[in-house]
Amino acid sequence: MLKIENLCKCYGKFQAVNELNLHIPKGEIFGFVGPNGAGKTTTMRIICGLLEATSGKVFADGIDVINKPKELKSKIGYMPDFFGVYDDLKVMEYLEFYASIYNIRGLEREKVCKDLLELVDLSEKKDFYVDSLSRGMKQRLCLARSLVHNPDLLILDEPASGMDPRARLEMKEILKTLRSMGKTILVSSHILPELAELCTSIGIIDKGRVIMSGTVEEITKKVYHTQTIRIKVIAKVEETIRLLQEYPDVDGANVTSENTVEASFKGDDMFLNSLLLRLIQSNIPVVAFNQLSGNLEDIFMMVTATEEIK
Amino acid sequence: MNNIETIKSRFRINPVLQKELKVKMRGWKAAILIGVYNLVLALLTIFILKITMSDNPGSVNSQNITVVYAFMVAAQFGLISLIAPALTAGAISGEREKQTLDILLSTTLSHWSIITGKLFASLSQIIILIVSSIPAFSIIFLYGGIGVIELLQVFLFYIVVAITLGSIGIFFSTFMKKSTAANVLSYAFAVFLYLGTIFITIFYVQLVIAPSQLTVPYTKTFWLMNFNPAFGLISLVSNQFGQGGYQIFPGVSLNAGKGIALWQINVIFDIGMSVVLLWLSAMKLNPTKKKWSNAFRKIRKI
Repeated sequence: MLKIENLCKCYGKFQAVNELNLHIPKGEIFGFVGPNGAGKTTTMRIICGLLEATSGKVFADGIDVINKPKELKSKIGYMPDFFGVYDDLKVMEYLEFYASIYNIRGLEREKVCKDLLELVDLSEKKDFYVDSLSRGMKQRLCLARSLVHNPDLLILDEPASGMDPRARLEMKEILKTLRSMGKTILVSSHILPELAELCTSIGIIDKGRVIMSGTVEEITKKVYHTQTIRIKVIAKVEETIRLLQEYPDVDGANVTSENTVEASFKGDDMFLNSLLLRLIQSNIPVVAFNQLSGNLEDIFMMVTATEEIK
Repeated sequence: MNNIETIKSRFRINPVLQKELKVKMRGWKAAILIGVYNLVLALLTIFILKITMSDNPGSVNSQNITVVYAFMVAAQFGLISLIAPALTAGAISGEREKQTLDILLSTTLSHWSIITGKLFASLSQIIILIVSSIPAFSIIFLYGGIGVIELLQVFLFYIVVAITLGSIGIFFSTFMKKSTAANVLSYAFAVFLYLGTIFITIFYVQLVIAPSQLTVPYTKTFWLMNFNPAFGLISLVSNQFGQGGYQIFPGVSLNAGKGIALWQINVIFDIGMSVVLLWLSAMKLNPTKKKWSNAFRKIRKI
């Protein structure tokens, strides 16, 4: 759906985006993670045709973003990190204005706007002035606005910034719904745990380059080299540890809380399957057996710190 | 049916214009503006009519009406000149300040449509003011001397001047980040057109041209004065009164109906300048000026 090849953007001598490469398949929610000034917003603005790239290529659904910006804009919905709304318009009028830009008319326009307001749970506010909405509501309205022309690709720059936990949760649910509708979403956020939960894959960007990308599990493997398994048993904790230590692929095992053992290991799902089988065959009363996914915040700190040292 | 839909989509109202009109014409604000504008115009007309009639109370002659007409034309021209830059100078910079410009630029709306939508939304207010002043102007028809054609000529001249001043406002609004700066520069440019051209002409004619031709007096119109809208209006009204062939001051001479008149040159210049300013504004608004920047890069390399 979105393919970026050797993208560069320079502001004078400062290189904001440096040979950035990225590929996001259709239907994915791709999380764009990086420190402030890493080049996330610049990249997003280039994709949306709001900024000229110094060099490189960007293709969205096969359309060359740089050479055919107008064609592309009908396929992209963009929500910037900082945005304003027309306070002197009513909620419905606001959406109708953008619908008219995309030449959506008459009854169709009314239907589209009503459906979108329902999607973002603002139907009851349709006759209210935009000015009277809370920040979270304005953000949802802006999301609805970006969907008015039914785009295939959504570019959302910090869509949940400044929202309270409930509003963030609602935004997350809306994004999941949009994914189920077949939309491809590129989203940047500083709230990493939420991003890890929401996104199908993640790209860590620093100093204008994607330094790591993949699913959270893939990135965890790359960063930590080992993974962690947490086993909860009713009894036989010592026996569990002894059994785990018999495996050469298990680096270490220890008790973390009552009846809970954590062990780091190198191996794949087959290894985990055989381990679970062995525990059960050994009559160890296992009640929970789960692989811990990496903490995105730790990964982010580790990866960006490594880059800093380099 | 499909053809009708295609025609409809081609002739749709500019969405920016539609939105701006909806917002600007909502409520009592627009009605109050029109009311106050016409009240001021009507009071000024009554005031000047009273003054012109003071020599001969109770009767009106054609001379009085000519003076009243000239005064009303000048008053309306002054009001338009003051209002037009203010209405457009915040059009684009205001969108930038409200952080709505990026969203607008990320849509399929062309940059030219954004610029013209903003310009005509602002001008629509001025056009409404001009049209609403017709009843006040109709006082001159009571006594004859001035016809509908003359009035139409003046109104069209107003619209051209409003477009010009509006384009200046839009231009600075696009190039400046802040509306305040855009406002200041728009008025500075307007002041240059109205007063700067006069001062430059007077100094140039007196200091450069006059000393070089001591024997023959300078009776032509200095080229810079053709760009002055106020003298364009003076030229138009003089032509309507059948006057001409005299010099206002060295550097500005009104011709007596022969050749192209100053106001005609002024209208052509105004339209040309408006097109150029709007085009530059649309170019500036385009965030991906690939072709231009490539061309500039090549030039720089050379």
